Amino acid sequence: MEILFRMIQAMSVFVVVAYIYCKSPLFKSLTTDSIRTHDRIYLYLVFSCLSIMGTYLGTPVQDAIANTRAIGPVLAGIIGGPLLGTAVGFTGGVHRYFLGGFTAFSCGLSTTVEGALGGIIHLYLVRRNRTEHIFDPRVAFVTAFFAEIVQMAIILLVSRPYANAVTLVQIIAVPMILSNAAGAALFMSIIRDQKNMFDRIAAISSEKAFKIAERTLNILARGINHETAVDLAKIIHKETGVGSVAITDKERLFAYIGQGSDHHKSGGPIVSPFTKAAIRENKVIFVDGGSEHYQCPLSDDCPLHSVLVVPLCIDNEVIGTINLYEPKNKNFLNMNKTLGEGIARLLSNQLLLSRYEMQKNLLVQSELKLLQAQINPHFLFNALNTIIAILRIDSARCKDLLIHLSNFFRKNLKRGNDLSTLEEELDQVNSYLQIEKARFDDRLTIEIDIDPSLMKMILPTFTLQPLVENAFKHGISNTLGPGITRIGAFRRDGWAFIEIEDNAGIFQEKETDDGHGIKIVDKRLKGCFGSNSGITIFCVPNELTRITIKIPQETRPS
Amino acid sequence: MMRALIVDDEIYSREELESMLKETGEFIVLGKCANAVEAIRAINRERPDVLFLDIQMPAINGFELLSMIDENLMPIVVFVTAYDEYALKAFEENALDYLLKPVEKERLAKTVEKLKKRFALGEKPVFAGPDIQKIPCTHSSKIKLIPTAEIEYVRSGESGVYVICPNGEFYTDLTLQILEGKTRLVRCHKQFLVNIDLVDEIILRENMLADIKTKSGRLVPVSRRYLKLLREALHF
Repeated sequence: MEILFRMIQAMSVFVVVAYIYCKSPLFKSLTTDSIRTHDRIYLYLVFSCLSIMGTYLGTPVQDAIANTRAIGPVLAGIIGGPLLGTAVGFTGGVHRYFLGGFTAFSCGLSTTVEGALGGIIHLYLVRRNRTEHIFDPRVAFVTAFFAEIVQMAIILLVSRPYANAVTLVQIIAVPMILSNAAGAALFMSIIRDQKNMFDRIAAISSEKAFKIAERTLNILARGINHETAVDLAKIIHKETGVGSVAITDKERLFAYIGQGSDHHKSGGPIVSPFTKAAIRENKVIFVDGGSEHYQCPLSDDCPLHSVLVVPLCIDNEVIGTINLYEPKNKNFLNMNKTLGEGIARLLSNQLLLSRYEMQKNLLVQSELKLLQAQINPHFLFNALNTIIAILRIDSARCKDLLIHLSNFFRKNLKRGNDLSTLEEELDQVNSYLQIEKARFDDRLTIEIDIDPSLMKMILPTFTLQPLVENAFKHGISNTLGPGITRIGAFRRDGWAFIEIEDNAGIFQEKETDDGHGIKIVDKRLKGCFGSNSGITIFCVPNELTRITIKIPQETRPS
Repeated sequence: MMRALIVDDEIYSREELESMLKETGEFIVLGKCANAVEAIRAINRERPDVLFLDIQMPAINGFELLSMIDENLMPIVVFVTAYDEYALKAFEENALDYLLKPVEKERLAKTVEKLKKRFALGEKPVFAGPDIQKIPCTHSSKIKLIPTAEIEYVRSGESGVYVICPNGEFYTDLTLQILEGKTRLVRCHKQFLVNIDLVDEIILRENMLADIKTKSGRLVPVSRRYLKLLREALHF
């Protein structure tokens, strides 16, 4: 009975050691998911010490030692695998061996075996894909329990004289089996709890980071301005829980949320010397409130004490800052510092991206304007000439053509809307076709075949006209014989297709002007309907060129 | 009366101009051509005094057409175009006049005056014209444009001028003389031009004669007179 109490005492020491271990930096090696080589070395040292400590905390019984040496090797085995378990067991065993006694060899041997046993359990759990049980205290209990039974068996088999061994086992078996098993379980449960806590903190902070990222990205999609800056500051303030958050441009305070907002007003000039320095030097400035602290230049009652200033950059040029403040009675958490820097980086990237997008859109818009404005002067003069010539022959037709010409120009100049129906597009195209048809009356055939159900389909304005003009430029204007131009629209496989075809077959993409016009149309279609939409060009030299527009049949453009 | 030919790819432009020319009472309109190929044939056949020529036309434009006209048959040229970006170039080409479509009656009257003066002088019109890049050929009633780089040699005979490519022989309305002057083809015989870039070997014969073997294995005769020139050109 006395031995049992002694063992419980020893076990208690283990619990304390376990607690200290969990709080020490050495514990870090257990918080990652994969154990690396240097983590293994730490584990080996820690658990070997544990094993040796178990021996010293033991109680001498009959020239032997009742002890808790097995806890170290068994746990090392379960956590780190057979190699680590055996190594720790061997270390503890060798140490025990040199202490002497009639069980010196058997104990040395059994400790090694116990470590290996823990390792076998580790392998078993890994193979069965049940690694979540590695840190289960029940597994540690059962493993240590059986490991100790094995030790007793080894003592009986190896230690001589046999009679002494039997007497010894009768005395120490129960206390050692129970105390080692309980000790291992307790130790493991402390490790597990600590590890869970680490995981939870990691999960919370990454969740927080993702949440901020998601919400800020949503806001930034609306562009950066005074309003979005306030929303951003609110989110950062709420998610990080810091005292206050400020967003500035290079001169002024854009938005301020949190403590001290009575005297830090949005729209005011930047007063903090730290913010000014961060902008000037393009670097992160952190004032922890210890050796140096934030002194508000505006108010002596300002509660703010520590600050993190992170510059916002586009292409390495500072355009503003994000400031996180904590009041005097709060420490600036390391986590918030990391988060703050991360958010600034995210914002910088996002700003760069949105500036890029904006410039790209502007470019496409201006290119389109240019394209629209570039009404081919040949077309105008040729049209007028044709109409004047027809006047001599057929004045009614002449009138029709003039109406078409005026319709064509009106549509070209006035269509300010971004989107049109296929019907509207075809209306403009038709005016153009009527005039071209008149020019080449003797040798041009136009075939139009449109699925009527597609007439209300939405397209970016000015999609069809450049393509049809192109078909003429490369079609009838370049063929010696009869020319055929076909325009068709139909549904297939859930998509709507519009085809413009000529029978010349001389489209060359490299030709700057036309290739450019088609590229703009293609870019706009992809912008509206996604990258699966757009234009494909099919050309059989000297036979046909077919330009196909592919867009989703029903969805409205974004 | 001046004998005129109209070349324009647009039907109503041709008809309008024809009406206007007739209204002046100074012209006999010999014909109207919709493209350069028709025009070459008509010029060779009708030998017009004046050509009213559109610049922008399919496949072969007005300037290129001028390169393809035999200098003995060269008419006086009046460009007629809808757009004036070519005006300067037209005068560089020695055009007599340049009319903008739609043509005004008063403007046409001035052209008629210029034409009359020119005829009074009796000078022969001359045009430099650009090099010919593609040769218009006829092939079973279809018109085919053959890039000069693909031509192995050109042969002239009783039935006209033929362009020979690896994939066949094609009749052309252009003369050997024009092709010699306006392309990189080189004369090797009174009746033959050869493309130096497609020569495989030159087989020397007796009496200072030779045959050229082209890359596709055809033989082209070389006459004594041209063998010397060919040697100089090829440095052998």
